[in-house]
Amino acid sequence: MAAARAIARRAFADGRARTASFALLFGLVALVQVTGYEHSFPTLKDRLDFAHSFGDNKAVRLFYGVPHDLLSVGGYVSWRVGGILTIFAAMWGLLAAVRALRTEEEAGRQELVLAGAVRRGTAFVAPMVAVAAGVVVLWTAALAGLLVGGLAAGESAYLALATVSPALVFVGLGALASQLAASRRVALEIGTAALGLALALRIVADTTSSLEFLRWVTPLGWSEEMRAFTGSQPGVLVLPLLASVALLVVAAAIARGRDVGSGLIATRDSRAPRLGLLSSATAQALRGERGSLAGWLVGIGFFAVVFGLLSDTFATAHLSAAIKEELKKLGGATIVTPSGALGFYFLFFVLAIGLFCCAQIAALRREESDQRLETLLSLPVGRVRWLGGRLALAVLGSVALALAAGLLAWAGAATQGVGVSLPDMLGAGANCLPAALLFLAIGMLAFAVVPRASAGITYGLVSVAFVWELFGALLDVPAWTLDLSPFHHVGLVPAQPFKATAAAVMLALAAAAALGAIRIFRRRDVVGA
Amino acid sequence: MSSAIQAEGLSKRYGDTLALDSLDLTVAEGEVYGYLGPNGAGKTTTIRLLLGLHRPSAGRAEVFGIDAWRDPVSAHRRLAYVAGEPFLWPALTSAETFEFMATLHGGADVIYRDLLIERFKLDTEKKVRALSKGNRQKVQLVAALASRADLLILDEPTSGLDPLMEMAFRESVHEAKERGQTVFLSSHILSEVEALCDRVGILREGRLVDEGTLDALRHLSAHTVEITFEDEPPELGPLAGVEVTRAGARALRCEVSGPIGPLIAALANARVVALTSREPSLEEIFLHHYDHGSSGSG
Ligand SMILES: Nc1ncnc2c1ncn2[C@@H]1O[C@H](COP(=O)(O)OP(=O)(O)OP(=O)(O)O)[C@@H](O)[C@H]1O
Ligand SMILES: [Mg+2]
Repeated sequence: MAAARAIARRAFADGRARTASFALLFGLVALVQVTGYEHSFPTLKDRLDFAHSFGDNKAVRLFYGVPHDLLSVGGYVSWRVGGILTIFAAMWGLLAAVRALRTEEEAGRQELVLAGAVRRGTAFVAPMVAVAAGVVVLWTAALAGLLVGGLAAGESAYLALATVSPALVFVGLGALASQLAASRRVALEIGTAALGLALALRIVADTTSSLEFLRWVTPLGWSEEMRAFTGSQPGVLVLPLLASVALLVVAAAIARGRDVGSGLIATRDSRAPRLGLLSSATAQALRGERGSLAGWLVGIGFFAVVFGLLSDTFATAHLSAAIKEELKKLGGATIVTPSGALGFYFLFFVLAIGLFCCAQIAALRREESDQRLETLLSLPVGRVRWLGGRLALAVLGSVALALAAGLLAWAGAATQGVGVSLPDMLGAGANCLPAALLFLAIGMLAFAVVPRASAGITYGLVSVAFVWELFGALLDVPAWTLDLSPFHHVGLVPAQPFKATAAAVMLALAAAAALGAIRIFRRRDVVGA
Repeated sequence: MSSAIQAEGLSKRYGDTLALDSLDLTVAEGEVYGYLGPNGAGKTTTIRLLLGLHRPSAGRAEVFGIDAWRDPVSAHRRLAYVAGEPFLWPALTSAETFEFMATLHGGADVIYRDLLIERFKLDTEKKVRALSKGNRQKVQLVAALASRADLLILDEPTSGLDPLMEMAFRESVHEAKERGQTVFLSSHILSEVEALCDRVGILREGRLVDEGTLDALRHLSAHTVEITFEDEPPELGPLAGVEVTRAGARALRCEVSGPIGPLIAALANARVVALTSREPSLEEIFLHHYDHGSSGSG
């Protein structure tokens, strides 16, 4: 029992930075939705207008799900909070479970634990208890945000529960993926694919009336069906609970039966040499990253097609002055036209490509902390060449993603007879790059200056900047604070003109940061874990 | 004779820890140099500075006259490194790893490499992640040896190797020496150092406390003289440089750190049955430095 407690405490402490930042996000988003709604739609007429023009809009449903009541604060918040935070909750659950199980095992620490007087069952259950405690933290944070906003306690608690419920399912999925895959990387890939599928199903169900039943096969849909503040259906809670328990039971059974350090999916450990992409350190880095690059392409490509398909669904009628004001604050004054909608959606590709850049920084740092960098740099490989090569790979990957987004969104729109040109859409894709590359360069600088914290800093920066751009405007904060976010300087191409000056400034800053990063990296020690 | 490694006043500080304190070191070309010291003495730190992976807090290190920090790439063209722990690319097989490292190094002696693969009994089609620790260590070793680099920097290269592989390693170092390669060998295995090294340096708390050929180190250290008598041993009285202890009913053990003459003179009238004198083993020299090292004696 003492051992179990020690393991659980260790696991909780390992994840505390991530849990704390997600909790902050949950609390803030919940709070901002409440105050933002009351601020933007003070009168019943505003709310009716809003419901009228947005309630049935497929593109809006794509992001937030199906609204059930847009006339009350609770109904609105339930819709918005549920739509966004459920995805984050699922992501957190996946990351937390894989971190607690597979990462430990891959590092060989699980073996140490099991070599002590600890049973296999305990070694599985104790970290899961810690993860469950993390779910409670997230729930508390969301609840606190709602309560501070002034919503009723009981319903708020239920909404917060609905919001974190996908985390339970994805903890189970992460635990199962950790049994299937022998490496953290593959486990996360399995889990991410499952999350992508869950999201895709929810989007299809929410935007296609003939396929609404699909909402019942995705954990993100279950959360919607709990309908906090809009005629609660607490019975639905059984679904995520059952799914989570079932997944965990299966995972535990596998964990008990397999060798420590192995996964259930057999990996072929022997093969004739394949000598492609070994001609330089950069080529070899591409060899290692090409699988994940393909995953990013598939994910971004899928959403680009969907955005294209849905680009003409905004109704042009019934827009009151207040609505237009609200849209303007979102930067989407022209969102009612297809090209306006596309311009708005592409803001999400800035985020996605920014996150891709974060992943590149994390990969850089992992190469160093695993000390493979030491092996590499003790060969005749220069530091500048190594970092420059990695930078070039990240830039080229970003460009590929941006252009793929433009191309596929154009293709999706074309099938709907929407008149946007291919060059315009490729331009919309390219328009994502300056802000994303600025994040990349800042990440490199962090890698050079504070290597151990670099991945966390970069992910944190991108998330905060995005949330700030999306919700900061609802808070009536001074304009210069909004200007701080690079997202604020992205013109909504193709509807708005390309903001050439802003893009040039961001690229110049990025270049300066990247050069600074290379200079500093040349002069620092190579630091391991 | 030009030197393969030259360090002058080389120091490294990590926060409060002075890991290396003003090291002066010269390793001649073609020499096999053993680098000894207890855990945390600063051996790996020295090597990281020699490789330009860490930046000296003071002083400088040169490899074949090339500054290790300023121009690491040129220096690395002439050396190969085996790290204390094998950090390789888990998804590559050994064969792919050899190819990759050879490409980065600008070539390898492929025929010799095949011989080494045979000698170290490596399965080159296996991915690194599926190899045992010892086998991963062997991958590193083969890659370094096959590079035929002028200088081999080896940080505890045989940790995790079985005795047969240890023999294979020694054979390979002998071959390297015969070809005129320089070897810098950090190790905890004293028999290995004794068998391979021309010169030895002993590091303690970041300072080089002793250095020289094995013979020279032995001469400077205490000899052990064991004397067996017919009956009760005589009182030998105080003798300069001799430490006397009882070693049984009719025997004495003397640690002689100076000339042996005074002891022989004192024994002139004693009824000695047997007298053995032996040089200290490297282990004894080593333990002597570890125990008394804080006085900085050499
Ligand atoms: N990156 C680092 N940051 C902080 N301290 C370090 C770092 N590397 C080494 N040290 C400290 O420097 C000292 C020397 O360490 P070093 O690794 O050189 O020892 P070593 O002689 O190689 O020991 P071992 O025989 O155990 O390998 C130790 O006190 C260690 O804690
Ligand atoms: Mg060491």
